[in-house]
Amino acid sequence: MRWRLGVDVGGTFTDFLLADEDGNAQIHKTSSTPQDPSIGLMNGLAELADLKGLGLLDFVSQIELIVHGTTVATNAVLTETGATTGLLTTEGFRDALEMRRGIREELYNNKYTAPRPLVPRRLRLPVRERIDYAGQAVVPLHKDSVYEAARAFRKQGVQAVAICFMHAYANSEHEQVAAEILTQEMPGAYLSPSSQLLPQVRFYDRVSTAVLNSYVGPILSSYLASLTEKLAGAQFRGVLLVMQSNGGVTSPGVVAKSPVNTLLSGPAAGPIAGVFYSSAQGYDDCITADMGGTSFDAALVKNRAPLVVTDGQINRRLIALPTLAIHTIGAGGGSIGWVDDGGLLRMGPRSAGASPGPVCYGRGGELPTCTDADLLLGYLNKDYFLGGRMRLDYDRAARAIEEHIARPLGLDVVEAAAGMYRLINVNMASGIREVSVKRGFDPRDFPLVVAGGAGPIHAAMIASELEMPLIIVPRESSIFCAAGMLLSDLKHDFVRTYHSALDEVDADRFRELFDEMAEEGERTLRAEKVPSERVSFQRSCDVRYVGQYHEVNVPVEGHEARQADTASILRRFHAAHDRLYGYSLPDTPAESVNLRLSALGRTQKPRFREQGYCGEDSSGALKGRRMVYLPSAKRFAEVDVYDGERLGHGNRIVGPAIVEQLTTTVFVSPEYNVMCDRLGSYTLYLKAKAAEYETRIKEATNPGRRL
Amino acid sequence: MSGKIDPVLVSVLQRRFKSITEEMGLTLLRTTRSPILNEARDFVTGLYDARGRMLEQTEYIPVLAFALEPVCRHIVDFFGDDVHPGDVILHNDVFSHGNQLADVAVFKPIFHEEKLVAWAACKGHQADIGGAVAGGYNPNAREVWQEGLRITPVKIYERGKLRKDVWKLIFSNIRFSIVEEDIRAQMGGCVVGERAVLELFQRYGSETVLSHVEHLFDATEKMMRAEIQAIPDGTYAGESYVFYDGIREGSRCKIQVSITVAGSDITFDYTGTDPQTPGFVNAPCSTTCSALRLTFLMLVHPDIPHNDGMARPIRVHIPEGCYLNPRFPAATTFGNSITGPHSDAIFKALSQAIPERVTAGWNRMLSATTVGRDPRYRRRYVDILFISQKGGSGGTYGADGYDHIGLINCAGGILAQDYEMMELQVPHFLLKHEYLPNSAGAGRWRGGLGTETIMRLDGEDVSGVVFGDGVEEESRAFGLFGGKPGSLNRLKLQFPDGSTHEPRAKDIIPSIPRGTVLIQIAGGGGGYGDPFTRPVELVHEEVLNGLLSLEKARNDYGVAIDPKTLMVDVVQTTELRGRSAK
Repeated sequence: MRWRLGVDVGGTFTDFLLADEDGNAQIHKTSSTPQDPSIGLMNGLAELADLKGLGLLDFVSQIELIVHGTTVATNAVLTETGATTGLLTTEGFRDALEMRRGIREELYNNKYTAPRPLVPRRLRLPVRERIDYAGQAVVPLHKDSVYEAARAFRKQGVQAVAICFMHAYANSEHEQVAAEILTQEMPGAYLSPSSQLLPQVRFYDRVSTAVLNSYVGPILSSYLASLTEKLAGAQFRGVLLVMQSNGGVTSPGVVAKSPVNTLLSGPAAGPIAGVFYSSAQGYDDCITADMGGTSFDAALVKNRAPLVVTDGQINRRLIALPTLAIHTIGAGGGSIGWVDDGGLLRMGPRSAGASPGPVCYGRGGELPTCTDADLLLGYLNKDYFLGGRMRLDYDRAARAIEEHIARPLGLDVVEAAAGMYRLINVNMASGIREVSVKRGFDPRDFPLVVAGGAGPIHAAMIASELEMPLIIVPRESSIFCAAGMLLSDLKHDFVRTYHSALDEVDADRFRELFDEMAEEGERTLRAEKVPSERVSFQRSCDVRYVGQYHEVNVPVEGHEARQADTASILRRFHAAHDRLYGYSLPDTPAESVNLRLSALGRTQKPRFREQGYCGEDSSGALKGRRMVYLPSAKRFAEVDVYDGERLGHGNRIVGPAIVEQLTTTVFVSPEYNVMCDRLGSYTLYLKAKAAEYETRIKEATNPGRRL
Repeated sequence: MSGKIDPVLVSVLQRRFKSITEEMGLTLLRTTRSPILNEARDFVTGLYDARGRMLEQTEYIPVLAFALEPVCRHIVDFFGDDVHPGDVILHNDVFSHGNQLADVAVFKPIFHEEKLVAWAACKGHQADIGGAVAGGYNPNAREVWQEGLRITPVKIYERGKLRKDVWKLIFSNIRFSIVEEDIRAQMGGCVVGERAVLELFQRYGSETVLSHVEHLFDATEKMMRAEIQAIPDGTYAGESYVFYDGIREGSRCKIQVSITVAGSDITFDYTGTDPQTPGFVNAPCSTTCSALRLTFLMLVHPDIPHNDGMARPIRVHIPEGCYLNPRFPAATTFGNSITGPHSDAIFKALSQAIPERVTAGWNRMLSATTVGRDPRYRRRYVDILFISQKGGSGGTYGADGYDHIGLINCAGGILAQDYEMMELQVPHFLLKHEYLPNSAGAGRWRGGLGTETIMRLDGEDVSGVVFGDGVEEESRAFGLFGGKPGSLNRLKLQFPDGSTHEPRAKDIIPSIPRGTVLIQIAGGGGGYGDPFTRPVELVHEEVLNGLLSLEKARNDYGVAIDPKTLMVDVVQTTELRGRSAK
């Protein structure tokens, strides 16, 4: 057998999805080992081998691909445990990193302090040199000051250095020479010249990104080395790939040069999985929503391509490299409900986390959480949580909600729980609005793909809040990102500054720059052993009206790049400007600022087994009835409970109902019906549009479908 | 009327209003042309109900924001029934509740089912507003007309149609054409707000939204009242000064505030404040109220929603004719900048009642604006040097002051320009922009650090305006409860011929030759609490980072550090700090 394995290392659990050649997929979860995450990963491999009845070496030697999402870099930044890092910068500007342009995000909070810089001031050393805005070296590089800095860095045990000089995007020579000197003087130190990492204007963006890169560089490199070694020791002969924040995967060798690209390594696979499950029904667009214990990640996918931004943040630190637009809010199963001074109900952002956890876990939690409300409302089964491995304490949860929510609001305990449930759904809905409405997209045009253990309990209500007609709950919902990892392509992003009026671009130059980036992308992918027939490119152009200082990223087709056909690019720009900003100026000249290209290397995807059609009758999976709260009717009602494992393609259930699977519970509200698609995904659709959607779910898929 | 209030929908609406105003703000940030708007974010956005009451705002610059609501009410009064779908209204007039002529607001009425239900507004600081001096600041002005064009409520679009005549008239009186583009961007921001508000009304229906908005106001009022209730009853007095009114040598203008807390009501009385000045050091009434609100919001729970209910428990009395409420036709362009001393007076007064909430003094703004021609692009430019004016805030119980935060009017919402963007946008060549060591007022919680900025001005036909404060000894950011004051501001020009010039804090520099070097120091904030109780390791850390000298560590903090090894001398430190040292 030849296996493919997706591994998502999270804070609490390490998730696995093992796929075989026949399209069978196995879900597995094991505890994470934050000290050295590779241990948890190897434990999981041993457990999977056991499940397959194989010895570890025998099993591992049959794995041809491991795609890995890692939080090693993320945690290093969150806990400030990265490498001792130095910054070499133009004389006069050593504080830009710490100043963060002088912003205080909470205007009225005088106790709000700035985040500690990842490089303390004494390790931010000046170099005499200066490039001006046009790329001219107006002060030559004084090499002595670089040597002097190297000595100081060595003396203070610096392991990694970021180099960021003024206007280095326009002329990188000084950064390059400084890097060469540091390479000689500080052998083994991890270096990040800003002009290599991000050749783009905006000093603060570059310095912040380059410092993050150096800060996590040594840790990620050594982790990958240790993992590679452990895998080799277990006879792994396949390919190891790492998930990047831009939604693509890459080899350990490439990512070791830009480890900053792994800061969203885990959640970045979510939207990719979303594409897979929604495109199985023919949709090119979707919104993904992943509800964990403390946080909720939402992302939007358009034309099978997740949205990418260049102003991502981690703990108030700017990442200016392309990053999937994943919006995270503090809402999850552990979110605590409370009543504020004005008598308004609030949910979160404080979370009971895994410890002490929700009140109903009986582990010492005393404040009512979302999970407690879910239990009171009957969505969670107190006897079948984690398949019965854990009993939930209903009475304790009820008392907590009574005391902290119901009494202060003058409601009964069910009304209070229903209020908590509704408010957290509203919060999550606004998380979805952030990635859709805020960017000018109407959520009603998108299927909602739902992930996380608790996600499917809330999905129907989040979707009604936004009037979304279709919800897809994959069988792999609880290990969604691990699944996404197996479905990701290799991806490398390139950018070239090209400043020109859009109606008078130099056609040769326009084409050349795109070609140049394509060649570089092809080279990188070839080194990763991607055959050329699996290579493709996505091009775009950053456009603005002359006189503006921010751009709209407009897609460029291959033939438009070749023929420098800017008329269609221009039309797309005006339309986007109106959609996003409420107006357009068709008579005003527009200009291009940057050309961008993503080089994609299509990986071999596992083929998840598709089921044959088994008819609408779902009665074979009916396992009982229980009382659940129906929010729209504001009362409890007895509804059918189905065993998800026994549902097949085409089986139809009329809401309200509950579908239970080992790690997932789906609440089907009365507005929706549910039908299994050919991948087995539970698909909820509005009853008002039942006929249309049922036909779609049953019949063969055509891409390009719209809701 | 649906009758019953759904408390959850109230929260939903509040969140949604807030995010709509943020979307409007993002629009301005991404589409405007003047670096004052797209780099520094000198703008605000807001939503108001049909009567002009505040629904929510996004306040990058709070002092501008809280002056939007009174203008909205004025527009509602002024036009009465004569407001129609597709109208767009422009306004800046300081004698009908505007805060500064250069801060021009666009208002767009929002109609649902042919009924006026709300207003969307965007206000931004324009590159120019006509008047005697380019760029909007005229320290020599003695009447409002010398400061710029007054725009009382006027429709630039009527029922969806551009009023070409009005548009032409307005922009014929403003120097730079980018102002037109930026007003268009503000209209775009209002459209973004309008689209989103309409979705809400379509979704829930007018009656439901409106009844829930009333409930939201009431709930917010309750929260505010609970905060005020927590302040001990009593009357607390504070005073502060603006130094030099730009005309009378040695003048100082007193702010006298008397704050009375009685249960859940609070009254601010400014009786005793000096009369209006002959120059531009006067604040329009709505600017004064705005400054009061933003300062008070720093003293209550930061989560209180910003809407009509928030302001209800606050009463204000400002005698007419004092410089915080001057009579027509006073010049007032310095008005926003009076927020600094105004906040000082409020903090000093309430330090007696809620010592753990107030901060020590913030660095007072000293600002420079340059206007000239950019030889690279052969076009005129205006730039406010935000980058060099951002000093430190005051320390407070539990937290050091914020470094390089800037004037309290903006509360940390204003951004310093990105260095490279600045050099691309305007003909300035930066030589230095770093923290200023030893600038923070010492304290258990020190003040925020100030900065030193040096830049060469490479434009042609450059002139400049300086306006601000914080250069006189007495205007240092004050220390509290044993904390030391912060450092002073300074601004100096070094001309290419080697001579230097140090302009006054309110001054015009008629001609700045190309190649002049501008050196500006923005001072630090005041310290809070006895510096001798500041943890030794924090003091040590700052010495190692070159932010604190050995002398200051010793004299201000009682921490002795060996100049050779840079290690703390524990014995000496204990001795210096006396028995109380840990």
